[in-house]
Amino acid sequence: MSIETLDDVTLSIWHQVQNSADLCVKCNICTSHCPVSNVTPKFPGPKFVGPQAQRFRNPKEISVDDSLDYCSGCGVCTMVCPHEVKVMEMNAKARYKLYQRRGIPLRNRLLGRSELMGKLASPVAPIANFMAHLKPLRILAEAVMGVHRDAPLPPFSFETFRGWYKGVYQKANGRKKTGKQVVYFHGCSTAYFEPHVGKAALAVLEHNGFEVIIPEQVCCGLPMLSNAEFEAACHNAQKNVNSLVKYARQGIPIVGTSTSCTLSLKSDYRHILDLNTEPFELVAQQTYDICEFLLDLADAGQLKTDFKPVEATLPYHSPCQLKAHNMGLPAIDLMEMIPGVKIQHVQADCCGIAGTYGYKKEKYQIGLDVGKRLFDQVKASGSKVAVCDSETCRWQIAHATGAKMIHPVELLAQAYGLTP
Amino acid sequence: MSRYDVVVIGAGLAGLTTACQLAQNNQKVLVTATGIGALLLASGCIDVLGFQPADSMEPVKNPASKLDDFLAERPNHPYGLVGRANLEAGLNNFLKLVNQHGLDYKGDFNHNWLLPSAAGAVHPTCLAPASLAKGELSTGESMLIVGFSQMRDFYPTLISQNLNEQDLVKAEPCLIDVTIPRAGKVDVVPTEVGHAFERAEFRREVIKAVKSKSKGYQRIGFPAMLGLRQHREVVADLEKGLDKPVFEISALPPSIPGRRLYEALKEAFLQAGGKLILSGKIVAGTIEGGRVTQVQLETISRLKPIQVQHYVLATGGLFGGGLMAHQDGRVTEQVFGLPITAETNRHKWFNPHFVSPQGQPVFNYGVKVNERLNPVNGSAVPLAENLYAVGAILAESEWAHGRTGDGLAVATAAAVVKQITGNK
Repeated sequence: MSIETLDDVTLSIWHQVQNSADLCVKCNICTSHCPVSNVTPKFPGPKFVGPQAQRFRNPKEISVDDSLDYCSGCGVCTMVCPHEVKVMEMNAKARYKLYQRRGIPLRNRLLGRSELMGKLASPVAPIANFMAHLKPLRILAEAVMGVHRDAPLPPFSFETFRGWYKGVYQKANGRKKTGKQVVYFHGCSTAYFEPHVGKAALAVLEHNGFEVIIPEQVCCGLPMLSNAEFEAACHNAQKNVNSLVKYARQGIPIVGTSTSCTLSLKSDYRHILDLNTEPFELVAQQTYDICEFLLDLADAGQLKTDFKPVEATLPYHSPCQLKAHNMGLPAIDLMEMIPGVKIQHVQADCCGIAGTYGYKKEKYQIGLDVGKRLFDQVKASGSKVAVCDSETCRWQIAHATGAKMIHPVELLAQAYGLTP
Repeated sequence: MSRYDVVVIGAGLAGLTTACQLAQNNQKVLVTATGIGALLLASGCIDVLGFQPADSMEPVKNPASKLDDFLAERPNHPYGLVGRANLEAGLNNFLKLVNQHGLDYKGDFNHNWLLPSAAGAVHPTCLAPASLAKGELSTGESMLIVGFSQMRDFYPTLISQNLNEQDLVKAEPCLIDVTIPRAGKVDVVPTEVGHAFERAEFRREVIKAVKSKSKGYQRIGFPAMLGLRQHREVVADLEKGLDKPVFEISALPPSIPGRRLYEALKEAFLQAGGKLILSGKIVAGTIEGGRVTQVQLETISRLKPIQVQHYVLATGGLFGGGLMAHQDGRVTEQVFGLPITAETNRHKWFNPHFVSPQGQPVFNYGVKVNERLNPVNGSAVPLAENLYAVGAILAESEWAHGRTGDGLAVATAAAVVKQITGNK
């Protein structure tokens, strides 16, 4: 009797998210590093709700474990796991099932739609910002919807990034044909809250001789995904990939300034939403975090280094959503190419905001407790300015420490002498 | 252009000690690892040689004096390749490295500590954190062994009974009931107890529960969970409150002494300018013309080539993930596909006895190297002059046989650091 060897087939099956529970040896390294379960008993820990519970989950049935909702999705568990169990991804999928049973509250639907909020509020930004900081309204919003009254809502920008680009910018510059093209995925935060990040990115890319294409795009869908709205997230994913794949086919790199948007394009669409067709693979392969892209240029000797010195020692937090790119921390090396810049890499896992997690009434304090080690180091540094690649982390750290938060590309733009 | 001189693949004991020393010698070092290495699954002690001959019931008291006998019994063990000098240097380097970064390891090559294990057996080990070393059995001092009724993974009664039956020390179990937030909902894990000990009110509760029962015992043993970052303060405070020496006993994973060691080595490495990618799996490497020319880092969406001068393979053995055993009897090396000394008949992988003193043959399978630690082919010809293998991936390094795993890690680290830096 001959036995067919299932080896290679078995291995590839194990590495799929839902099956990777079988790689778990129950060592609890994930639980011991979980930022959330280390500060609250409400979350039992990633091993318990992840690979352990996974063995009892019937794919056809809805989830019964409510404690899963306290997972912030930061992904530290997946990062520290020595056995390649996709713990965070497994939990994200299970949360989708959980909310199929519980129903998705209005609050989560709202937090999942930063783009819609931006579209509605930016045209009336002064009023919207005034209202967003009115204590009685925030108390009402907390009572009615469960968005914590003190959570760091960023101010809407009256001028949207796309509005500026199509109006002011293109009238003044037109698009420069340089023969070297790059696609810029700006995401919602740059579009509606922080257009200055997009302006800095555009300036830095153009300074390095790139023609920057800004294609049609919608919210990457991550806020919906982490609020268990998989159908809506898939819809956005499909729209983005439809728009981006033609550039990917031509080998044009797609760069982003939001580490969570680029992580969605690179990984979450495929690994959590199970969108695995060729266009998704192509877009994933062509997507770069902007610091990753610029550092690759530097390694190839193609990055301009006409930096003016910037005398500053700056604390830097590497966001969870960046670490999940599995490529290291390109921003540090990149910023330290600027003469005078010294980066102090803050040793902390997570800031606690985890996208929309720390905005929720019942999770706001957990978020601050998770980030305490980070905040203490930023405060102790004495620096008025700190750096972080991810927008929600920047808002959380600014809220907790009072520091002015910038994206690494803003520091580069400053050093290049570009004032967007 | 490369930003690095050396890539160390793997963040276990061998990888991190190699990387730290290289970074401290002005090499630009990148460490890549598939998650946190085996340090959190080990005791945190450095075992060099525990039993010689392997089936002896008597633990080794002086590993330095028994090394030659061990090599006579196992002539192919990599200790023979790296030699006594590198082993001693590796131990000294380790002590210097970790004690400069907030830890307090005790011991030397000429002495083994004899410590109580989580099962109440004797654990002979060469270097141990001070908090564990205070459990030394040869002093004969009596001990009260404390456990928590809410924690299933640590049994004071088992430990005490086994120690008493071996006539080693007088030991008495003490099971206490204290406030652990998650107890009753999920299994209590060591990290949670470690964090609890960092709170003064938890320590007060523990002291209150233990003090009255500790009369007549010379020292008090706790599961090795006495704090993470604030470990020293926790031990000092307990000793003050209990008015007796307090020590730690290894417990089940995740190991807190292993965690402290990992954090200290990581901090030492980062402070020396090293870079660490914790979720960075190296999935392939190219060997051309007798040199490694590049390795491939698997990022979340594509492979990224990395080209440096030297490559250190510290991916571990079958347990650490450096080797993979297949259904058809093949054992393969996961990065370069290096030749592996292995028996393809799976019936020969294991001894009939599960806890055989000689360990299991399958753990002897691994990468064969020369005295420079370059992997070699079947005819002993080096495959790549800038590739070095360290730690548990080495052939003939079965660690249970003689209890040599940690000594091998630090010794091979010392040998490779010399090769790469050119320091003698």
